Amino acid sequence: MENNKDQIRQSLVSIVGEENVSGEIPDMIPYIRDSYSTMMGRRIPLPDFVVMPETAEEVQKIVLLANEHLMPVYPRSIGANIAGSALPYREGGMVLDLKRMDRILEINEDTMTATIQPGVTWGQLRKEANKKGLDIIPIGGPYQTSPVGNHLLTNITPYSSKYHCDRAVTLKVVLPTGKMLRTGSWASAQGGDTNPYFRYAYGPDITGMFRGSLGNFGVIVEMVERLRPVAPVEKDISFGFRELGPCLKALQAIERLEFTRTCQIYNNMLAAHLVLAPHRIKEPGERERLLAKMPPYQLGIGLGGTEDMVALFEKIALEEVSKHGGYPFQLEPELESVAKGASRDIMHMYAPFSGFAAVIGCLPITHVAEINDIVKDLVKKYDIRDPISGEPQEHELIVIPYDRGSTVYVEQEILYDPAADRATLEPVMQCLRECYARIVGQYGASHTIPNKTLMKMLVPSYVEILVGFKKMVDPNGIMLPGGPYSLE
Amino acid sequence: MLADYRNTIYHCLKCGACRHAYEIYMPICPSGMKYGFDSHYAIGRISLARAVIDEEVKLDADVMRRIYTCTSCGACDEQCHDAVGVDPLQVIEEFKCEAVEKGLIPPEVRDYLKHMNVYGNPYLLPAEDRGKWALNSDIEVFDGQEYLFYVGDVGSYDERGRKIARAVSGALATAGISFGILGEKEMTDGNEINRVGEKGLYEYFATANIDLFKEHGVRKIITLSPHAYNAFKNDYPGWGGNFEVSHYSQVLARAIGEKRLKPEGTEGVRVTFHDPCFLGRHNQEYAAPRQVLNAIPGVELVEMERTQKNALCCGGGGGNFFTDLLGSGPKSPGRIRVREAIETGARIIVTACPKCFNMLDDAVKAENAEDRIVVKDLSQILS
Repeated sequence: MENNKDQIRQSLVSIVGEENVSGEIPDMIPYIRDSYSTMMGRRIPLPDFVVMPETAEEVQKIVLLANEHLMPVYPRSIGANIAGSALPYREGGMVLDLKRMDRILEINEDTMTATIQPGVTWGQLRKEANKKGLDIIPIGGPYQTSPVGNHLLTNITPYSSKYHCDRAVTLKVVLPTGKMLRTGSWASAQGGDTNPYFRYAYGPDITGMFRGSLGNFGVIVEMVERLRPVAPVEKDISFGFRELGPCLKALQAIERLEFTRTCQIYNNMLAAHLVLAPHRIKEPGERERLLAKMPPYQLGIGLGGTEDMVALFEKIALEEVSKHGGYPFQLEPELESVAKGASRDIMHMYAPFSGFAAVIGCLPITHVAEINDIVKDLVKKYDIRDPISGEPQEHELIVIPYDRGSTVYVEQEILYDPAADRATLEPVMQCLRECYARIVGQYGASHTIPNKTLMKMLVPSYVEILVGFKKMVDPNGIMLPGGPYSLE
Repeated sequence: MLADYRNTIYHCLKCGACRHAYEIYMPICPSGMKYGFDSHYAIGRISLARAVIDEEVKLDADVMRRIYTCTSCGACDEQCHDAVGVDPLQVIEEFKCEAVEKGLIPPEVRDYLKHMNVYGNPYLLPAEDRGKWALNSDIEVFDGQEYLFYVGDVGSYDERGRKIARAVSGALATAGISFGILGEKEMTDGNEINRVGEKGLYEYFATANIDLFKEHGVRKIITLSPHAYNAFKNDYPGWGGNFEVSHYSQVLARAIGEKRLKPEGTEGVRVTFHDPCFLGRHNQEYAAPRQVLNAIPGVELVEMERTQKNALCCGGGGGNFFTDLLGSGPKSPGRIRVREAIETGARIIVTACPKCFNMLDDAVKAENAEDRIVVKDLSQILS
């Protein structure tokens, strides 16, 4: 076995060079942890190697080698790894750290797209796009995360109501067999490189098969990502509401008028946490003072266009909001930066202790109040306490419309202190499981490849297709085996 | 003990904010940029700390090599503090302290500490040589002047450092500032000893320095190095060493503001300023050196993209100037910094730290860029 390991190491070194392969324990430990595995008390085995390729060809050679030795492969883009999706669950695997693949290969002003590698961050992409009068389509994720990683996770958290939530156009993927796949119009053997800009070419949407696949189907080595034009005037405004119901109604009414660029609802707990930097939130009374000033719910709207357009949109928004009892409320700069996407302030939602259990689902707006109540009740049932005050916890809530509000993305955060003992963390875990069982069971509200528990709640034919596709592209089952999101 | 930082360690979100500077969206960790593996970024070092306190891995020399490539530049804290409220550097430095206590340090660190212990300096030279840089000059030995000019190890022993010490002395004299030096009586400030985790030896030198300063009636100190400035300003008060401490760039900026120093004009030259970590991020002094540069007729200051709080470390902090655990090569932070400076179109990289000066000067040579850019200390561009 050791000889085999030595041989694999030598082969890896010949592909990526000595300095980009490690089998040393201190180099591998950082790759076996993330926020959720920690909460769940899960022990992840050490991989045999961490490898850092720089090119698609190197990735191809590594995957071929892994096939030859039936070695599990766990790719990660920039490695902002939080929810257990990129951990090497099976012993003897190889972590493919793609952060060296950090080049923006093209920003095309005509098609308003960027062709990027997996190690490119949202912030890096925004900076380069801005130089050409373009911007990223707003996302909820922070600046240091990766658009490719985001596509593999869900490609949602859409802070954008104007643009379709799925921003990936086409992909270049090293399949688990080592073959190179190109999707959409990029699939054309001759003309693909001239036109990789159309997603819906040549039949079914294969780009979409990789959305939310969490690395099960291969390694994305290039992605064409949609960008948006920066409007001459862009303005974010905010309205306060005393109750969730009217706030949701106002959002629905506004979305049907089709003039917003971004749109989102926060409850006051989330808004307060976003505004307060982590060190401020720990100051006694600081959060309470802010909460006292804030409305229970805030509806934030991003507008864009000419000066006249924005003035008109603002007037219309105010009229619609007023019909539902809303009122203008001064938008804090932190919330404005969150709405623009790829911010640092978005990280404050996990403050002060970085422990969060996210209950995420997408469903019709008419059920939002119900699932908000479900989480509220379960937080109460499990007696989850606020990690700052020790009082019963009020969870964070964000609602963002998809496709003008046909459905909405709902994220509810239950906060905890990861340094707490198991007895304190266990109820959080149980609460999270029950929240998911309820909202998926009753409302079908999920957003990515379901874990093994949730898989049992799906119709068998759906699971057969997912698993069948996996078997087709990964006959040796080398990609991502063993974890909660594995399709083996 | 590392275990005392359990909460900080457990509160790391594993989000990677420590790798990239917000707003400019560029890599910011010098050791991570050099080695690439997460183990050389704060995110990985915190994971290692957690594995140690959870007894999943032994604290040994292999682990510590990943910890000691950290240059204590504070860039990770700058990012993480405002993102999720964690300050990774204090964990990394506690890691080093624990390794020193357990004797599990890399040989390079061991040798550095041995030299400091035996010789009182990392150059293995006698204390009598400390004041030699000032021979044949008008520089006086401290005897009640307004300021003590504290030169430190690099300014005292290193040839390039000595030139900087002479240039600073010249500028101070031109500004009419009354100062003296301790010469052979001067001792190391200990900042690097502290940064590699030898708290006991640091305390020994710090208290000895405090006694020495008090014995000589020192009340105000000007430091050549930002590292000494950091030690005197932030740590020495904890041992009763309360002195009015300034970095020389601050004194010169004040002198220019009060019209006591009028920099001579120079032929039009474009310069860029490299912020030393222990002047900038650790002590928030970004303005003084720029005030000096902007006061020199003919000097055009252009900024690198990674500047001020987002400045990229030269690689010389955290004892690495002496231990060289980061090593050389095109991915060494000094060379990356030089390439970044060249991109601005500047002909001179100005800095205000003898360690940064040496790191960057070596990097210019390694890049074969002597015909495109040179390194100068702030004091040298004045003279």
